[in-house]
Amino acid sequence: MRIKKILVLGSLIILVLTISLAFNSGALGYYPLPLPGVRLLASWYLYTTLNPQYPVFTAMSPEAVTAIVWDYRGLDTLFETAVFFLAIVGALALMRGISLKVVLDSKNDNSDGGLSLICKTATKILVPLIIAVSASIALHGHLTPGGGFQGGSAAAVAPLLILVIFSVYFLLSKGVSEKPMLVLRTVGLLGIYFTALAAVFIGLFTGLNAYVFQNQPKFNAPVGLPAQISGALISGSLFFFNIFEYLAVAGGFTLVFILLSVPEEIVKSFVSGETHG
Amino acid sequence: MINLNTLTYLFMAIAGVISLIATYLAVLESDLIKAVVFSALQSTVYAILFYLLMAPDIALVYIPVAVGLYPAVVLFLIKKTEKTESESGEVGGDGR
Repeated sequence: MRIKKILVLGSLIILVLTISLAFNSGALGYYPLPLPGVRLLASWYLYTTLNPQYPVFTAMSPEAVTAIVWDYRGLDTLFETAVFFLAIVGALALMRGISLKVVLDSKNDNSDGGLSLICKTATKILVPLIIAVSASIALHGHLTPGGGFQGGSAAAVAPLLILVIFSVYFLLSKGVSEKPMLVLRTVGLLGIYFTALAAVFIGLFTGLNAYVFQNQPKFNAPVGLPAQISGALISGSLFFFNIFEYLAVAGGFTLVFILLSVPEEIVKSFVSGETHG
Repeated sequence: MINLNTLTYLFMAIAGVISLIATYLAVLESDLIKAVVFSALQSTVYAILFYLLMAPDIALVYIPVAVGLYPAVVLFLIKKTEKTESESGEVGGDGR
C-alpha cells in the first residue's frame, strides 16, 4: 500500500512538473489565457459569423461556436453524432431481449421504494427547472453559449434524478420507457438528416444549385434557409440542428440509463432464459 | 488593486491544485463510491477552469456530463459489482 501511494504521488508530481516545464518553455505560447488580440482564422470567423453584408460567407448567428459546430464544420458534428448513436446502439445490443414491460410487471410489492419524502419533493421541484433550463440552452443555442448536445445532456439529468430518487419502476409506470425514447432518438436523427438535406430539396423544387449541409446562400448556389422568421433570428439550419440534436441526445442518454438501472437479478433471469445463447 | 489577469491566474492555480488533490484521493481510495465522488469533485473544478479559460460552451457540456451523467453511469456499474477494491488491486478479491 505504501509503495502504491509513493508511486501514485510520484507520478502525479512528475506530471505536474513536466507540464509546468512545457508551459515555461512556451509549448502552449507564453500566455495561457486567450490572447487580447485574435488570431487570423478566429478573426475571420468572428467577422463573418453575423454579417449580412457578406451573404456568401455569413452563418447569420451571433454565436460563433455554434456556427462553427453546425455550419462551417457541420460534417464533423454529423459524424460525432453518428459515433454517439453507435454507442447507444452498442448498449442496446448488450441489453437485447430485456423487455421493460416484464420488468415493470415483476415488481411484486406495493411499496414506493426510492429515497425519503424530502428528496422526492425536492426532485419534483427540480425536474421541471432542469427541463426548462436545458430547453433554453438548446433553443437559444444559436444566440448564446450552448447548443443541442449541451441542452440534451442537461435534460438527461432529469430522468436520471428520478431514477435515483424514485425508482426505475416509477419512471416506467409514467410511460418513460424503451419505445418512446427510441422514437425520440430516431426523430432526432431523422430531423438532423432532413435539415442537412433541406437546401438540396429546395434546390430540387426551384431548379437552382444547392449543397448538402448548406445554410445561407453560397456562391453559385443561391438557395438558403431563412435567417429569421418574422423578425426573430433563427440562423437558418442552426436552430433546427440544435432542436433535433437536443431530442436525440436526451432520448439516447435516458434510454441507456433506464437499461442500466434495471435490477441485476432481472437482467440475469433474461440472459439465462435465452434459448440461443 | 489586483490586476484582473492575476486574479484569474490565482483562481486557476487554486482550481488546479484542488483537482490534483482530488485525483490523488480518487486513485488511492479503495471505497469505489468515495472514489467516484472525488472524481466528480475534480470534474467540478475542471468546469470552473473551462469557464476561466473563456470556453462557456465546453463548461456547459462538461457540467452535466462529467458531474451528472458520468458518475451516475459509474455508480450504476459499481452497484452491479463489488463496492470496495481489495489490497491486491483487483475488484472483488474474495475469489469470485
